[in-house]
Amino acid sequence: MSFFKDSVFSDENASKNGFLQSLDPRIKTITFLLFLVQILLTRNIFILLCLYAVSVLLACFSKIRLGFFLKRTWVFIPLFSLFIAIPAIFSIFTPGEPLTTVKIAGLTLIITRPGLSGAALFIARVVTSVSFVVLLNITTKHFELLKVLRIFKIPQIFVMTLGMCYRYIFLFIGIIENTHLAVKSRVGIKIRPKKGQRIVASNITSLWQRSYQLNEDVYQAMLSRGYNGEPLVLNNFKAGWQDWLWLLCALTIFITIR
Amino acid sequence: MNNLAFELRDIHFSYLGKFPALSGVNINIRPGEKVTVIGANGSGKSTLLHMLDGLIFPDQGTIKAFGENLNENVFADENFSRNFRKKVGLVFQNPDVQLFCPTAQEDIIFGPLQLGMEKGEIENRLEELAGILNLKHLLDRPPHQLSVGEKRKVALASTLIINPEVLILDEPTAGLDPLTTRHIIDLLVPADGSGKTIIISTHDLHLAEEISDIIYVFSPEKRIVKCGKPEEILNDGQLLHDNNLIHIHRHKHKDTTHIHPHLH
Ligand SMILES: Nc1ncnc2c1ncn2[C@@H]1O[C@H](COP(=O)(O)OP(=O)(O)O)[C@@H](O)[C@H]1O
Ligand SMILES: [Mg+2]
Repeated sequence: MSFFKDSVFSDENASKNGFLQSLDPRIKTITFLLFLVQILLTRNIFILLCLYAVSVLLACFSKIRLGFFLKRTWVFIPLFSLFIAIPAIFSIFTPGEPLTTVKIAGLTLIITRPGLSGAALFIARVVTSVSFVVLLNITTKHFELLKVLRIFKIPQIFVMTLGMCYRYIFLFIGIIENTHLAVKSRVGIKIRPKKGQRIVASNITSLWQRSYQLNEDVYQAMLSRGYNGEPLVLNNFKAGWQDWLWLLCALTIFITIR
Repeated sequence: MNNLAFELRDIHFSYLGKFPALSGVNINIRPGEKVTVIGANGSGKSTLLHMLDGLIFPDQGTIKAFGENLNENVFADENFSRNFRKKVGLVFQNPDVQLFCPTAQEDIIFGPLQLGMEKGEIENRLEELAGILNLKHLLDRPPHQLSVGEKRKVALASTLIINPEVLILDEPTAGLDPLTTRHIIDLLVPADGSGKTIIISTHDLHLAEEISDIIYVFSPEKRIVKCGKPEEILNDGQLLHDNNLIHIHRHKHKDTTHIHPHLH
C-alpha cells in the first residue's frame, strides 16, 4: 500500500531530470494525445507493438525503473481481459474459423481465429494506451497536469473534480493504511495481510464516510488559502527547442505509420 | 462605525442540521487582540474557528468581519473572497487536512500562488520561513511521510507565508515536544507585540496564559460560560475543573495554595 501511495502520489518520478520530465508539459500532453489517437485508430498489431516499444523506450530515457513501469501498466490488463477480451475469443461473440474447442460444464466453446487475433489486438491496444497515460501521469507534476488541462480549455469544474478524485484516492489509501495499523495495534498480534484486508473490507462503509468527510475538510483547507478552482504553479511553462524537436518527431511518427 | 475585527451575535450552528456545535455564541474581537478559546473536546472550538475563517456560516445569528456580514453570497464575489483570504489565515487542527500537495514546498507556496502574490516575493518568504521554522531539509519530501510535529510546522508555514492580519490557529501545539512548542510560541508572540490579531484554540493552559489578552471558556453545551483576563480565568479552579480542563492538584507551599493544571 505504502509503496503504491508513494509511487503514485509523491511526484518522485516527476522530479527526476529525465527526458520526458524536461519537456514542456503542454507539448508533452499534445504529443501523447497524438499517440493515443494513433493507438485507437490503428488495426495493425505490428504498429501497436512499435508504439509500445516507443513508450518503454521513453520510460527508460526518463529514468523510470522499468520494473516499476511494467508493473504499473500491466496491473490493469487482467481486469480488461476478463471482461472484454476473453469473451471475445469465443465463437458466440466472434464467429469465424475455429481453432480449438473447450468444454466447460457441458458447454462446448469454440475459440475462433478472428476472435483470438481480435483479443490480441485489443490487449495490445489497452497495454499501449495505458502505458502512455501512465507515462504522462508519472512524469508530470500533479498541479502542472491540471494546469495543462485548463490551458486546453477543459472546463474548470471538470479539472476541479479530477483534482478532487486524485486527492480522494490519496486520502482513502491513507485511511486504509491507518485503519490497518489501528486494527493491528488493537488485535495486538501481527495479523496476516489477508485477515487485515478482510477487517478493512468489512468496515468499507465507515471508511467511505470517513474519507468523504476528510475530503470535505481538505476542500475547506484549500478554500481557506484562496483556492478558487484554478490550479496555479510556480514555474511558467516555456517551450524550448527540444520541445519543438520532440513535437516534430511525434508528428513524423504520426504521419508515417498509419 | 465600530472597528471590530469580528463581531458574532447569537450564533447557532449544527452539522447536518442535527449535531449542534455552537449554541448561542457572542464574541467581539478587536483588531490586534490575542484571543484564546479553551474548552473540552467537542465543545465547538474548531467549529468557531472555521466560522471565523469564512468556511462555514451560522444557521442563526450574524457574523461580521471588518464590519461586513459573512455569508455564502459575499464569498461568491471573487474580490471579496480573495481579500478575505489574504487577511485571515487558519491553521487547521489536523495537519493531514491542510497538507494536500505532493511536496511540502508546494504546500507552503499554494496559498500565495492562489492569491496572486508575486513569484520573487513568494520565493523570498519561503526561504525566510523555512529558515525560521527549520524546514529546509523537508521541502522536497511528501507531507504524508513527515512526523506530526514536522507536518504541523509545514502547515503553520503554509499559512504564515500569506502573512495575514488575522491568524487563527486550531490547537497549534498539540502533540509537539516542549522545544518546538516554545519555538512556535516565540514565533507567534514577537517581542514587540506586533499588531496581528491572533485567535487560538488550545488545551495548553500555559500557552493560553502566556499569549492571550482574553480567554473564552467553552462548555460542553457548546456555549461560552466565561470570558476574561488570563489571571481571572486560570485561577478559577472550579470553572476549569467543571469544563474538563484540569485535574486539580492542590499543594500547600508555605502559606500559598498552588493549583497545578494537569493537561488533558
Ligand atoms: N463533520 C461533523 N459532522 C457532525 N458533527 C460534527 C462534525 N464536526 C464536529 N461535529 C460535532 O460538533 C461538536 C463540536 O466539535 P468541534 O468544533 O470539532 O469541537 P472541538 O474543536 O472543541 O473539539 C462536537 O459535538 C462534534 O461531535
Ligand atoms: Mg477541535
